[in-house]
Amino acid sequence: MDNIAGQKSSLSLVTNIAVLLIVIAWLIPTVGLFVSSFRDRDQIAASGWWVAPFSVELTYRTRADATPTEQGNLFVIEGNIFESEEVRESFEDGESSIAAYGLRGREPGAFEAGTEAENRDGGTIQVNADGSYVYTSPEPIDGAPRVYFVAETPPQFTLDNYRTVLTADNMDRAFINTLTVTIPATIIPILIAAFAAYALAWMDFPGRGLLIATVVGLLVVPLQLALVPLLNLHNQLGIGQSFVGIWLAHTGFGLPLAIYLLRNYMVGLPRDIIESAKVDGATDFQIFTKIILPLSFPALASFAIFQFLWTWNDLLVAKVFLPSAGDAAVMTVKIADDLLGSRGGDWGILATAAFVSIAVPLLVFFTMQRYLVRGLLAGSVK
Amino acid sequence: MKKMYLASAAALALSASGALADGHINHVFAVGEGDFNWDSYNAYAEAFDLAGETVTITGPWTGADAELVNSVLDYFESATGAVVEYSGSDSFEQDIVIATQADSAPNVAVFPQPGLIADLASRGELTPMSEETADWIRENYAAGESWVSLATAAGPDGEEALYGFFYKVDVKSLVWYSPEAFDEAGYDIPETMEDLIALSEQIVADGETPWCIGLGSGAATGWPATDWVEDIMLRTQDPSVYDQWVANEIGFDDPAVVNAIEVFGSFARNNDWVNGGSEAVASTDFRDSPAGLFTFPAECYMHRQASFIPTFFPEDADSDFFYFPAFAGEDLGSPVLGAGTAFGITQDSAGAQALIAFLQTPIAHEVWMAQSGFLTPHSGVNSDLFASDTLRQMNDILLGATTFRFDASDLMPSEIGQGIFWSGMVDYVGGEDAASVAGRIQDRWSEIQ
Amino acid sequence: MSPVIQGIITIIIGVGGCVGYFYFANLFIDKVLFPARGVNAGRNINRANMIRPWIFLFPAMFALGLYLMYPVVGSFFRSLYDRSGDEFVGLGNYARLFNNPDFRQAFLNNILWALVVPAGATFLGLVIAQLTDRLRWGNIAKSLVFMPMAISFVGASLIWRFVYAQDGDIGIINAIRFYFGAEEGIDPLQIPFWNNFLLMIILIWIQTGFAMVILSAALRGIPEETVEAAIIDGANPFQVFFKIKVPQIMGTIVVVWTTITILVLKVFDIVYTMTGGNFGTEILPSFMMDFMFRDDGQATAVAFVIMLVVLPVMVWNIAQARKEMR
Repeated sequence: MDNIAGQKSSLSLVTNIAVLLIVIAWLIPTVGLFVSSFRDRDQIAASGWWVAPFSVELTYRTRADATPTEQGNLFVIEGNIFESEEVRESFEDGESSIAAYGLRGREPGAFEAGTEAENRDGGTIQVNADGSYVYTSPEPIDGAPRVYFVAETPPQFTLDNYRTVLTADNMDRAFINTLTVTIPATIIPILIAAFAAYALAWMDFPGRGLLIATVVGLLVVPLQLALVPLLNLHNQLGIGQSFVGIWLAHTGFGLPLAIYLLRNYMVGLPRDIIESAKVDGATDFQIFTKIILPLSFPALASFAIFQFLWTWNDLLVAKVFLPSAGDAAVMTVKIADDLLGSRGGDWGILATAAFVSIAVPLLVFFTMQRYLVRGLLAGSVK
Repeated sequence: MKKMYLASAAALALSASGALADGHINHVFAVGEGDFNWDSYNAYAEAFDLAGETVTITGPWTGADAELVNSVLDYFESATGAVVEYSGSDSFEQDIVIATQADSAPNVAVFPQPGLIADLASRGELTPMSEETADWIRENYAAGESWVSLATAAGPDGEEALYGFFYKVDVKSLVWYSPEAFDEAGYDIPETMEDLIALSEQIVADGETPWCIGLGSGAATGWPATDWVEDIMLRTQDPSVYDQWVANEIGFDDPAVVNAIEVFGSFARNNDWVNGGSEAVASTDFRDSPAGLFTFPAECYMHRQASFIPTFFPEDADSDFFYFPAFAGEDLGSPVLGAGTAFGITQDSAGAQALIAFLQTPIAHEVWMAQSGFLTPHSGVNSDLFASDTLRQMNDILLGATTFRFDASDLMPSEIGQGIFWSGMVDYVGGEDAASVAGRIQDRWSEIQ
Repeated sequence: MSPVIQGIITIIIGVGGCVGYFYFANLFIDKVLFPARGVNAGRNINRANMIRPWIFLFPAMFALGLYLMYPVVGSFFRSLYDRSGDEFVGLGNYARLFNNPDFRQAFLNNILWALVVPAGATFLGLVIAQLTDRLRWGNIAKSLVFMPMAISFVGASLIWRFVYAQDGDIGIINAIRFYFGAEEGIDPLQIPFWNNFLLMIILIWIQTGFAMVILSAALRGIPEETVEAAIIDGANPFQVFFKIKVPQIMGTIVVVWTTITILVLKVFDIVYTMTGGNFGTEILPSFMMDFMFRDDGQATAVAFVIMLVVLPVMVWNIAQARKEMR
């Protein structure tokens, strides 16, 4: 390969850049969600997530609420706008500067900071960049006058969303419930499907083609179709809405894809290995456990990841097959029905909920990935 | 007072065997204090003893609302000694259908839509309530007969009976605004629809945008528009026409309905009148759209929405509302559009029956209304107890209505009222002709009859 | 009993039961039913081998039959009855569907989805798998591309609202337009026809990770010798990729393509949460949701139309299976 070395390095530069661009394009939406999960509802509505790390100019409304004093024939209010009651909380960290101010909501930035303007009481007002202001009036001032201002505001991030989501009632219970649903619902279909896939790939029996076709056909059955009849069936069997019911349901729904993927993988395994094992007198069960399973590890691991992700993120099946009462709820149900319902439209909470529920699947993926790659490399040694 | 205390103490002692009840009951308002109707509570406590019973309830209330309903149910627990388990779900409508099919229905369910009650009643999933209960509602609720007829449905045998007990009502004919923005601009609260239209034109002339309208709501996108159309129907037609519309005795494509849709269009399809133009109407989430009232400069000045909407206002927003006025030229009085939730018995038990009886006591209403957004047609409650003047004013709108009508889309068959009516309104706002939208909706309706 | 322990015990019973079945069922035929010893050893081995496939297949067939076949057959009969389920209407529900303009729209959109999404996701997955194959940070890149797979469809819809929102302070598309001097925000999801593609992008974004993982495994499985031979013969990298590598993993590409096609025909969440099927973006699964619990006759009819759409893919797969059996 060395003869095209020069070409290769320029090509690899192009490759690097191309991959980098793809990864960035893939990440942008998620980054938006991630950043938003640290902002509160009002901030999300006020400015884009891409400016979140920078200072932005925001408009505020407050009152010049320092105590008025009488100076000569004028009534004067002097104070600092950042310390006024209505906005104090937003500026506790300091470091803000006022760009402009105004007296009416329609023109909140009518006057530049540091300039003097006439107010509606017949006196003047001046607000400086550091927030200090002087408001004068020939008449006694009753009630603190309104002032609007545009201020450079430092970026603000909050963990409140995470606190809300993580400390919601029974969230820990919901987490355990989710694991209780997902783990068996991942392992059982893989086990069953692996045996079936082997039979469909390497065993000879009448009706094999028909069975394969049926499996492919069943792939496309819309879940919604099966929910209610199966729920009725579970009731008749006495399973009702329970963990057993949801495992069986997930197993049934996940099987076609599992069989289809695993069979296709197993068919591609080298024929001579299996045939020589048969010649050596190995039974199908031995071939399966000693040869096929280890060789199929990459496929098994991939499917395990998919099935895990699917059951983890599932909402529909959980809603139908688990009781709706509190202590059996899984995380998705908890988030969708309990958190979002009462805080619908709160994008910060939504974003956080999405991130909390993504955390475990990502962890699983990154841990499994090591095995996945190892499995893949082993598979390539044909 | 001592006697009352003893009564509840006795109830507590009785329920202590239920383990859970012990220490769990922590009343928001101490029994006997304040201007509540404690007599009704004590009388009720004497009449019912359900120690050891468990009553399960599901409903659409989650989060803060769930806490509020639990605070009311605490009194039911302490009065009867029963244990109540309430669970709320955002997708209640779907869950209750599944639960009844799975035979895992709770004792009592709280329905936001009368249509669903009728649906489940016809399948025999609900237990009818007694004729005495219906009589009680007729006597004690403002416009009692209408609340009874709303919750009356045909059972599996075709026999009509009362299947729901209304509790907690929402008023929808409200326009929200920022008093300070109105004040600064010198706008007055319009008393008639003509004034409201004139005010909208005035705001446009001032170079501003009068309305914020958002129809977005995920799969339910379009529903806020149905409220608009219903409100306008009540302001342009006799209430009897509204009833005929709901029952499909006049077609959805009747000129009266098409006209109401077009009046709505004169607001929502007017690019000068709505924030962001009519394209934004269809895409803005209804929860996000009122935010424009409270920005500086204001993106809009008015927002028509039901009494629940302040939950979605930004923190510390200064807001107030006025009655969505009627046309002075139409002489239709002051009609009010509303909605409400009704308790239905999904799994009969002594506890479920007792709970319905509990809802008849004023105290069941007062505890909630003294805390937060809660309106009630119960005439026996002490209206001094409303948590705020805002609420009292809303209740006054409710009680002062010359006509009260329930949200039509909640009464129509769900394929219409929670289906094509929604999406049809989105198509209309997107530019389709009103008559053609109405025609399509009627076609669908004819099909399912 | 604490829920954790309860959970662990149930997990052990569930999984253990499954392993136990396969182990003991095999033991049973080999040692008890048809022991491979004595006079009938040979015949017994043959018999055992005839039964064994069915032992291997039984749990899968049972679960498939109960959880998929039974509802499908039941639903098919349901689709022949009217909305209340009392009156037999034959193919009436189907006729009504095809007379419904909304349905025709959903049908056409769905075909578009079934063509564009699998093609897009498989192509991108293949390209990324190839590009990252020899890259030092390839695994990191792959993980990041795979990440959307871990997000629920509802979460994904939310993420993309931060891209598509009409408000220039929320949606990045409009923010960019404003930056370049646009006056008014537009709602990308209301652009007739093209909004369908914007929704498809979301599913492509999710499914590319799936295609990439599987295809990347297949690429690694290609014997080095064939590739090296081609390079020595002077093939450029593009030729190596398209003429040598792609043909060798064609089988896997087809599997990935099929899997995604089938998934596309089932996913309703994205359309449901992004547009609610408005603005001409309805697809069959979300159209079906409009009828669920209301008119089960038509809802089930829609489901069968969906299954019909996938018929070509099924036929093709049967043909493949026949070919392999040789």
